[in-house]
Amino acid sequence: MRTSDVIVIGGGLAGLTAAIAAVGRGRQVTLMTSGAGTLAIGGGTIDLLGYLENNTLVATPRAGLSLLPPEHPYSKVGSQVVEDAVQFFLTMCQEESFAYTGGLDQIQWLPTAIGTVKPSCLVPLTMDSTPIQTASQVVVVGFTRLKDYFPELISKGLGTIPGFQKEYQEIVVDPGFTGGRDVTTLDIARWLDTIQGQQVCREQLVKHMKPGSVVIIPPVLGSRPSYVVRDTLEKMLNCKFVEAVIMPTAVVGLRLRAMLLQRAKRLGVTIMEQAHVVKAVQESKRVTAVITGNVDRERSYPTKAVVLATGGFFGGGIVAEHDSIGEPIFDLPVTAPAEREEWGTRNLFADAAQPFAKIGIQVDTNLRPVNSEGQVVLENVYVAGRNLAGYDYCLEKSGNGVALVSGYKAGLNC
Amino acid sequence: MKKHHYNPDACTACTSCVIHCPVAQAVREFQGPKLAGPAGERFRLQEDEWESALEYCSNCKNCDISCPSRVPISTLNMKARAQYYKTHKQPLRDWILSHGEQMAKMAGLTPGLANLGMNNVVSKAILKTIGISNKAPLPAYASESFIKQFKKIKQQTYANKAVFYPGCFVNYNQPQVGLDVVAVLQANKFEVIVPEAAVCCSSPLVVNGYMDEAEANAHKNIAILQDYVKKGYPIITACTSCGLMLKQEYQELFTIEGIEQVASHIYDIAEFLLELYDKGQLNTNFAKQTGRYLYHAPCHLRVQGIGTPSLELVRMIPGIEVIDADAGCCGISGNYGFKADKHDIAMAVGNTLFETIKTSGIDTVLSECGTCRLQIAHGAGAKTVHPISIVRAAYDRK
Repeated sequence: MRTSDVIVIGGGLAGLTAAIAAVGRGRQVTLMTSGAGTLAIGGGTIDLLGYLENNTLVATPRAGLSLLPPEHPYSKVGSQVVEDAVQFFLTMCQEESFAYTGGLDQIQWLPTAIGTVKPSCLVPLTMDSTPIQTASQVVVVGFTRLKDYFPELISKGLGTIPGFQKEYQEIVVDPGFTGGRDVTTLDIARWLDTIQGQQVCREQLVKHMKPGSVVIIPPVLGSRPSYVVRDTLEKMLNCKFVEAVIMPTAVVGLRLRAMLLQRAKRLGVTIMEQAHVVKAVQESKRVTAVITGNVDRERSYPTKAVVLATGGFFGGGIVAEHDSIGEPIFDLPVTAPAEREEWGTRNLFADAAQPFAKIGIQVDTNLRPVNSEGQVVLENVYVAGRNLAGYDYCLEKSGNGVALVSGYKAGLNC
Repeated sequence: MKKHHYNPDACTACTSCVIHCPVAQAVREFQGPKLAGPAGERFRLQEDEWESALEYCSNCKNCDISCPSRVPISTLNMKARAQYYKTHKQPLRDWILSHGEQMAKMAGLTPGLANLGMNNVVSKAILKTIGISNKAPLPAYASESFIKQFKKIKQQTYANKAVFYPGCFVNYNQPQVGLDVVAVLQANKFEVIVPEAAVCCSSPLVVNGYMDEAEANAHKNIAILQDYVKKGYPIITACTSCGLMLKQEYQELFTIEGIEQVASHIYDIAEFLLELYDKGQLNTNFAKQTGRYLYHAPCHLRVQGIGTPSLELVRMIPGIEVIDADAGCCGISGNYGFKADKHDIAMAVGNTLFETIKTSGIDTVLSECGTCRLQIAHGAGAKTVHPISIVRAAYDRK
């Protein structure tokens, strides 16, 4: 009988991190995915902690950690694990030749497509905004027909923010795309993957740019986890690029996912796509197998441990019906306000926390699910990522941070 | 639709399918699966002429693989395409490409002549005028079909029976794959039954919009296979597109009595053998081999949610090294790459795979899908083998 040491359910940042951490410990790991996950369309930066519950900005992510309530996932695993997870991630990126920069002791302020800045922690080298802050003049580059990206909006907005008050100039590059489809950053990134695209882009930019310019550009510097496109263009134009934060689909998440998949596969993680896990086989408080329910039939996969990283409401890891809420695979207890009216506040744009954001599965310090009395429900199941209760990624700017830290912890424990 | 979400409104417009669509990557004229599929459904309710997006979909199913909401995007496209051709003229080319079974039966009368006929300059020019690419890797017909050769095999009789559904490609183009399946099952003490009356699974009919014929084939096949399923026999396929059609797409497309019961008994040959292994019943008496291969997972296998059983199985054979190419769609998608106006798109889609193969230093690629093998030979100049043939060789050479 083929038995996995660990089955990781979910192929997002939490699941992939758990799988990579576990296989690194010599575990035989099977990763089961359903769909490509939000990682592929997301921003791809590791926002660790920007704001606290009362919407106050942290001095640094590290300083913020000690101010979090005990039910927060970071508090559960402890600050040393957060520190180790950050190091684990930075080392992994370095080894995959796709280094990220940042750390717990500084906030990375990232310019966005709407002319604001957003606090992050670990970012790809293409998004390091330090060059903007030290420049006097900044060029904002847009692309013809690119949706939801307006250079004027960026320069106008950034011009009002301390540290970003520069002399801005806008340039629009025309990639000359045919066809009626909307132009996305991925289309442009794939175009810039080609030498021909790089040359056309250079020709259109070079006449407007002084040597040593700092350039804000949407995330289009290549579709793959590599800095080759950035390096080539920076050399061609003698400039410094900074990629802006945009709406999904952002190529940055796609690159990060490709890097993680590449590493997981190389280290020997077995990946099963479209394996929709529907339930599990249990013996007392232990899971002995997970069962997939595809269109044709159910299949059973024996395992010694499970990492549950199926996401929140969007990923299907937590399902709310009209009169119920639950975790669909193991039927784990989900903590939510008793009355539906208490799930949300009506002031949608008040910059205030929405109670539903913290809905999730309660865990012990080893990320094992617990019931309302705090007793461990399943001894060999570890919960990671957006399944977890007690944090508000939207308000805190902590989404990928919690995914990374809890995925790393789950991968160490399973 | 019971287990499968058929509701286009389950689409949250997240665009995961668009970024993972190999055709959208290759050609900007394609709006992408989201607009062609679930979003298009809304427009099609109002307008008759909303078809331009449908033209480009190859039904490779990478959209389904990437969708977090389990929307059968490609099937929505295929249904809409069929609806479109109910009121619009369809080219002869599409009929020819969807009726490989009938074409093969005609050719079967004189396969040598048919192959000669397909591969000379004059015929290629004729094919081109009707819209079949003169560069495409059209398959040659075998001199004798699998079913004819199967009948001549003197099988060892066993209590365990397994039904093998060969499909058109194995039956008419590469019967050796079918013979290898039979030999491997015999080596595992299974007696093989081949249902001669079974017809084309209808995968090529579905992608070209011949939905009524496809449904008729589905009814016929389910009725035939049902009798074996009632006896508890497993139904085995060695073509991943036939397998997908029989166990999944039939359920997405048609309402047929007993379809779920049949679906639950359909196995990919390698999946079936690994289940024997889990029960301690697989004959693992493999002779040591020498061989280094790349493996290409067909998209129609990846969407099945069973992993890559052939890769696991072949890796059990001592002395064999297999590297997963992991380089995406080959581009051919059944007969998509045979079409004159799609050939270049198919080649662009497969380019990453071709480059991976060419730079690997490995000359032979394993893959379960017949048309993937044609395209890999065509695009990368590599030798191609069905993984089951490697397994058979390991049983033979003791």
